Amino acid sequence: MRNYLFKIPFIFFAIILLIFFYLLIIERNPSEIPSALLNKKIQKFESHSLLYDKKFVSDEEFADEVILVNFFATWCKPCRDEHVFIKKFSNVDGLKVIGINYKDNSKKAIKWLKKLGNPYSNIAIDAKGKIAIDWGVYGIPETFIINSEGIIKYRHVGPITKKTYKRISLLIEEIK
Amino acid sequence: MISSLGTLSLGLSLFFSISQFLFVRKTNKLKFISISVNGLLIISLTSFFLLMYAHITSDFSLINVFQNSHTTKPLIYKISGVWGNHEGSMLLWILVLTIFNYFIYKLYNTKNSTFILKTLEIQSFITTGFILFTILTSNPFKKMISTVENGLGFNPILQDPALAIHPPLLYIGYVGFSAAFSMSVATLSLSKNINTDWHNYMKPFVMAAWTFLSIGIALGSLWAYYELGWGGWWFWDPVENASFMPWLLGTALLHSLIVVEKRKSLQGWVLLLAILTFLLSVLGTFLVRSGILTSVHTFALDPSRGIYILGFMALLGCYSLILFGSKSKLYFNNSYFSFFSKEGAILVNNIFMIITCFTVLLGTIYPLLIEAITNNKISVGEPYYNSTVIPIIIPAIFVMGMGPMLSWRKEKNSELIKKILPGIFMTITLSIFFLSIYKTYNLIGILGIILAFWIISNNLVIFYRKKINYSLGMIIAHIGVGLLILGITGSSVWQKEKISKVRVGDEIKINNYNIVFNKISEVRGSNYLALKGSFSVYNKNKKLITTLSPENRFYPITESFTSEASIHTNIIRDLYIVLGQGNKNDGWTIRVYYNPLVVWIWIGAFIIFLGGIVSTKVNLKRIKI
Repeated sequence: MRNYLFKIPFIFFAIILLIFFYLLIIERNPSEIPSALLNKKIQKFESHSLLYDKKFVSDEEFADEVILVNFFATWCKPCRDEHVFIKKFSNVDGLKVIGINYKDNSKKAIKWLKKLGNPYSNIAIDAKGKIAIDWGVYGIPETFIINSEGIIKYRHVGPITKKTYKRISLLIEEIK
Repeated sequence: MISSLGTLSLGLSLFFSISQFLFVRKTNKLKFISISVNGLLIISLTSFFLLMYAHITSDFSLINVFQNSHTTKPLIYKISGVWGNHEGSMLLWILVLTIFNYFIYKLYNTKNSTFILKTLEIQSFITTGFILFTILTSNPFKKMISTVENGLGFNPILQDPALAIHPPLLYIGYVGFSAAFSMSVATLSLSKNINTDWHNYMKPFVMAAWTFLSIGIALGSLWAYYELGWGGWWFWDPVENASFMPWLLGTALLHSLIVVEKRKSLQGWVLLLAILTFLLSVLGTFLVRSGILTSVHTFALDPSRGIYILGFMALLGCYSLILFGSKSKLYFNNSYFSFFSKEGAILVNNIFMIITCFTVLLGTIYPLLIEAITNNKISVGEPYYNSTVIPIIIPAIFVMGMGPMLSWRKEKNSELIKKILPGIFMTITLSIFFLSIYKTYNLIGILGIILAFWIISNNLVIFYRKKINYSLGMIIAHIGVGLLILGITGSSVWQKEKISKVRVGDEIKINNYNIVFNKISEVRGSNYLALKGSFSVYNKNKKLITTLSPENRFYPITESFTSEASIHTNIIRDLYIVLGQGNKNDGWTIRVYYNPLVVWIWIGAFIIFLGGIVSTKVNLKRIKI
């Protein structure tokens, strides 16, 4: 048999490897399923505010502004990792950052925010995960960008990383 | 407390596996090797049972327990919850690895020392890789920062007896192939410097791995059948494919090993298959754990895990395949096989298995490829697999039915006809009898039934004659495959589905059965609430056959719904009812399936398992220490 024939398995394997590495490296999000809610109006909801002693009414909070909605919880480690980026977003002009505290203990959430800093202008409590269901959330953290008409323009599943931060920032500039 | 103990035990297992790697390179350090191997086994058992203890006692100081458990969960699912999540399942994976490692060590004697030590070296390298992976990216003993009163609960659809034992069986399969991989790499790197019959050592491991992988896949499929409530038992989900691919190559490997044993040929081929089978097992792990594809099985997303496993797979794959490229020439000889011989049949089937495997691989990664190139999302589903896999598998099954009848080397034509005549006669009789009951004009259906009886008949003939080529395990397993094909054909070709909206008192007709909706009531389970329907099933003589009660369950802790199908099984067919959404006034959506012969899939799989066990035992005896 020819010599090169013995190398075929390796070459084949190497090609498959390269494809997978490529897929891992390009910040491709397998869960970035073109959400059924994309380009649709957000789901309305009412809940309690974690920060203020009053109701959180979505109609009041989501109006005339570009908004970043971030589902988080204190028990979720990736949420802690992406917290720096959420803070960066809170400094962007013309962007309002709203948090949704998913299935969490409110006292702990407040403590957590005191320790790490609070980037959210308001936070809705989603104790039973009902808001998350309405929004079609897969798992936290998850982040949505909503334009000034209250229409969902982007959805990101999983923690925000350096690369996604850049991408989302560009997108926000576009929407504004 | 348990967190530090667990992390310590993980650290110790890393220590032992590295020390095994270092000591096996020197033959005079047998005592240290023994300490490393035993220490590794004991410490892996310790860390595994530590985590189990934490789950049983609902110790929420561990993140792992908090995220996957709840005090109200029944005990058996607290136990199975240990491997029902990514981190815990890695611990199980390591445990199985070290058990196999221990068995390999037990084979050591003065004659095979070079070969076994080299195998242990590769094995400890693999173990070290997985322990490091667990410690770095998936430590199940991570501590909670704050204290909590209760956990988040365990995905209710995983709370099921079949699924509780499905992962351990599957892992014995996947990990068992690591032994074949290590032995293959050991053989290649020692080249011809060993006079050990490496294939005799490899065979029982491959046999055991294949057997457990088979039953593991079957149990997963059984679970999907009654738990998901979709009426089917195989969905070509990427993760199902991930277990099916090593199974296909494992099947090829298993049969080729017999050729090596009897005819000393196909050696190079077997060495390659052993490497590829394990690499595919690791690829399966990568696909599931990296979150690179979405599937019902996907675990939590964490990109670092994907990078690590892929990197490790690259290391294993590049090393072994480059080694294969440079050394395997020694193991190829230019022997030509006669088509009508046992080895000819095995070789032909090998080719069919490989083609099927790559077809499935292509279907699994094709959506990823398309996405990488064009950024479009597509999905490859059942139609692709049905139209590609079935045409390949049909001739393979035909050859499989004949193979065991053939002699080694070359079969005389006159002999051949004499041998297969009784089988042909029996196949025709059984098929005609069967098709007179299940009248059909479906070509695939008819073909499937004939092929199933072709396998069963031929093996019964061999069993009856008890002459040469007689291997009880093989006959049992092959008959199992025949029954499996019968079940697969019946349930996929003649399945009937009826979806209707019914109110209490309404009737549904399906295939000579009359199903009456009696009532719907609320019931309370140990950790769920449920709506339970009650349906009476009458046959065409208006005789009551059974009452079926499908449920819609709500698990308050995880806030999730599951639907429990209710199934009436006999050897001819399954009646399968699923309760859907609805209310009193508009009625309830229900789905009724008439699934012929499904039970033979499970019976067939179990018989295959038995055959595998018998063969494993025979092969273990051959290398008895």
